[in-house]
Amino acid sequence: MSLQQTLKAYKFGIVNYLNALKLQERLSGERKAGNIQDTILSLQHPPTYTLGKRRTDHNLLLTESEVQAMGAELHYTERGGDITFHGPRQAIIYPIISLRAIGFGARKYVEGLESIMIEVASLYGVNAHPGKAGETGVWVGDRKIGAIGVRISSGITSHGLAFNIDPDLNYFKHIVPCGIRDKGVTSLRREAQMQLPEDEVIHDQLIQSFAKTFHFKDMQWSQVSRRPPPAAADRRRLHPTKCSAGGDGQPSAANYTQLNVTLVN
Amino acid sequence: MAMASRLMWASRAASYLKISTCPRAFSTVIKDLKYADTHEWVKVDGSSATIGITDHAQDHLGDVVYVELPEVGSSVNQGKNFGAVESVKATSDVISPVSGEVVEVNTELNGSPGLVNASPYEDGWILKVKLSNNGEVNSLMDSEQYSKFCEEEDAKH
Repeated sequence: MSLQQTLKAYKFGIVNYLNALKLQERLSGERKAGNIQDTILSLQHPPTYTLGKRRTDHNLLLTESEVQAMGAELHYTERGGDITFHGPRQAIIYPIISLRAIGFGARKYVEGLESIMIEVASLYGVNAHPGKAGETGVWVGDRKIGAIGVRISSGITSHGLAFNIDPDLNYFKHIVPCGIRDKGVTSLRREAQMQLPEDEVIHDQLIQSFAKTFHFKDMQWSQVSRRPPPAAADRRRLHPTKCSAGGDGQPSAANYTQLNVTLVN
Repeated sequence: MAMASRLMWASRAASYLKISTCPRAFSTVIKDLKYADTHEWVKVDGSSATIGITDHAQDHLGDVVYVELPEVGSSVNQGKNFGAVESVKATSDVISPVSGEVVEVNTELNGSPGLVNASPYEDGWILKVKLSNNGEVNSLMDSEQYSKFCEEEDAKH
């Protein structure tokens, strides 16, 4: 077993999709240059539809202006995978790690991400399983609870996984999720028989499971920003409106400066 | 039967010695090709070269569903990415082992990306280039060096 360094985890509240993307690009560059250690981001997004490299926008059942009218955003990305939805109460985990350093290929990495979501689901008595060949992701029966979309560039990962804690599943009605018709989506809230803790607990469990699965020896945690109190999040879920920039626990310029300082040191 | 029990013994011995094995313990490596440490192969023919990804690479990627091909006429540079491959919801860069001008791309991969998995050294070839610097090939690995490199990489976990 090779010596694994410490995994550095940054925890955020709700982060605009493009801001998170820019941060990942910067961190990937730093990781590739060997300036920083393996890093993992934990956050949630405001209502956002995203497409992967293949640009399968025939699986979006709305026009761009309809997307905007409902207060959501649409972004095209370089990740693998098809169309998906991200929103509040869905745990987003973006690992920025060197696969080359651990000799992992895409398949083994993605299997690791699947096993993390399966493990965390099992903590709540939910029996999830990986998809069949060609249906990467995590399922409970024929309902999808966790999605994966990854980019591997110069052996460094970005993007990652999205695990449905309790997002508004109505948003998924406007897409053919991951290009797979006739299969539903679900959430931990729907599948678990027990009360769920705060989202943060589940985010932390996903990160800890990641650290264990990929054999990290140690962890460092950094809380960069926080999610708004539950009442505000629920209001937004029922009446989706465009999230205003700078509010709702999104990283401010000061937070980015803080991150810069950390990276440089 | 004898083969099966030899494999069993090999597996048990490997576990005892803490070497990782799998049913396909050794990916195919073709003699006479040159290899990059990013798992691409190149077949040189005078001042032309054909490029693809290795058996080790396709095995580690999983089922390929999409290959992003470069444009004919564009340049590729040694060590720089020229395209990408998608498998298991992951896009992975493909790095060029040599520099040159793209003269042909394997358009079969548009309809049949799985050729990369089924036939990584033949029908799954990705592009052909006119080499701009034949000397670059000397910095690549030969088949023996590459086999050893793969074993060392796979032993990391």
